[in-house]
Amino acid sequence: MISSKSRVDYQQVVRSISQSMVRLHRPERLLKLILRYLDRDMQVSHAGMMIFKEGREHFIFVGSRGKGRIPASLVKFEKNHPLVTWFSSTKNKKNSVGDYLSYQGLQRNLLEGMKSLPSSIISDWEKTASVMRTLKIELVIPAYFKKDLTGLLLIGPKKSAKAYDADEIGFFEIITKDCAIVVKTTDYQRELHEKNEQLQNHLREIEALRQKEQKTYYEIMRSLASEVYAKDVYTFGHIGQVDRLGYMTAKEMGLDLSGRRKDILSAGLILHDVGKIGIPDHILNKAGRLTEEEWAVMKTHVDKGAKILEPLSDFREVREIVRSHHENYDGSGYPRGLKGEEIPIEARIVAVVDAFHAMVSTRCYSKGRSPEFAFDELKRCAGKQFDPRVVEAFVSAMSREMRKRGVGQMAEAAPI
Amino acid sequence: MKKLLVVDDEEEICDFLKAFFEEREFDVHTAHSGAQALDSVKSASPQVVLLDVHMPGMDGMSVLRQIKQGYPGVKVIMVTAIETQEKIEEAMRLGADNYITKPLSLEYLEKDVQEKISLLTGKK
Repeated sequence: MISSKSRVDYQQVVRSISQSMVRLHRPERLLKLILRYLDRDMQVSHAGMMIFKEGREHFIFVGSRGKGRIPASLVKFEKNHPLVTWFSSTKNKKNSVGDYLSYQGLQRNLLEGMKSLPSSIISDWEKTASVMRTLKIELVIPAYFKKDLTGLLLIGPKKSAKAYDADEIGFFEIITKDCAIVVKTTDYQRELHEKNEQLQNHLREIEALRQKEQKTYYEIMRSLASEVYAKDVYTFGHIGQVDRLGYMTAKEMGLDLSGRRKDILSAGLILHDVGKIGIPDHILNKAGRLTEEEWAVMKTHVDKGAKILEPLSDFREVREIVRSHHENYDGSGYPRGLKGEEIPIEARIVAVVDAFHAMVSTRCYSKGRSPEFAFDELKRCAGKQFDPRVVEAFVSAMSREMRKRGVGQMAEAAPI
Repeated sequence: MKKLLVVDDEEEICDFLKAFFEEREFDVHTAHSGAQALDSVKSASPQVVLLDVHMPGMDGMSVLRQIKQGYPGVKVIMVTAIETQEKIEEAMRLGADNYITKPLSLEYLEKDVQEKISLLTGKK
């Protein structure tokens, strides 16, 4: 008979141990402590806990204690072991003493059923009884998780050799249930953790590959853009400086340039004319005014550029910038006639930097103008061709930089 | 009488298997080391030896070699927790009659031992 005191003790033990152990992913420790408790504080000669190992499809011991115990490292139960099939197959259920197996109960049933029961059942029972006898097991308590048999508590005879009473058996059932839940939960957590880890690794690999590919493509685009600049005799300019001016303007405007935003702006500035690679040289480098047809061809460079950048999926926004850098603030630009905020802010910046660049550069048809002239021109077109906020930021950032370099060097300070 | 020698440095395992096979009417001897095992093979002349691989001193592999050299008729079943492919192949090369890894199914072990015995008695 279990005193109410020992019941409370057990609950305290379980509570305190499980709180620390389960979190440590060490259910074996908890189970061993429970077995030790059975061994020391209850009248059990020996006890062992077996757990079903998924994947391996057999039951192994997580612990075995006491005099006459089954050596834990030696023995496993296959799925067809009589003590496993007793609980996993339903045929014995109706005739068993309860949802546990008792050696004495089984012997009693064998005696009573000898004449009335079919011989197949009797032989099954005898086999089961023989296994229990060999292993000196008095009680087998099953543990289920959902409907699967996940564990077996094997209890040896009482030290006093008396039979276990209903109270004690009920107590063993509670313990077994607890153990099964602890083990299953920990298994799940471990599995989940491992799978998650694997998934994360795969994702990291894929992401690394993708980034590498994107970077390669970006590098190709960049060198292509340099080609464009080299091919276009008007622009003997330096991509790096276009990039720098645009960045300066964006910063002046207080745009968000954290993380990828900066890369997107930078790519837009660098790649905005990449589509010119598809414009015939005689149009691109024509000294005089373009005819209407030539001008129409020239205008296609924005869509051509966007098309070239299509595979750069990381920079979908860059495509939009490239495509929109000839849109005007008042909606009079091309190719789509977007206006105001419809035009990506980066494209509005590219438009201003590009225009400034065109004005101060010496071209076949015009000598480079002074920065001050360019500023005036930008301001005059603010609100029409250009976003006034961009113009204002550009002019103020640019003027500050020129002041820093000294007024005398103003003309030279125009860097492109 | 069927004669069996159980060799394992863990006494508990020896005792358990001894009781298990005695219940099945075997004459069971036990040894806890390689040297003891060779002595027992000589003195008790078992038909089957259950042999642990990992033991202090002389390990199971050298015991196996010596049994197979001196007593080629004795069947040796390796019973061990070590299960690398190399070890299994080595044991097979040295003439082991089976290689069972711990934890094991007692039902399978019993069947295997009985089979080895009937092979021997069949030959006679």
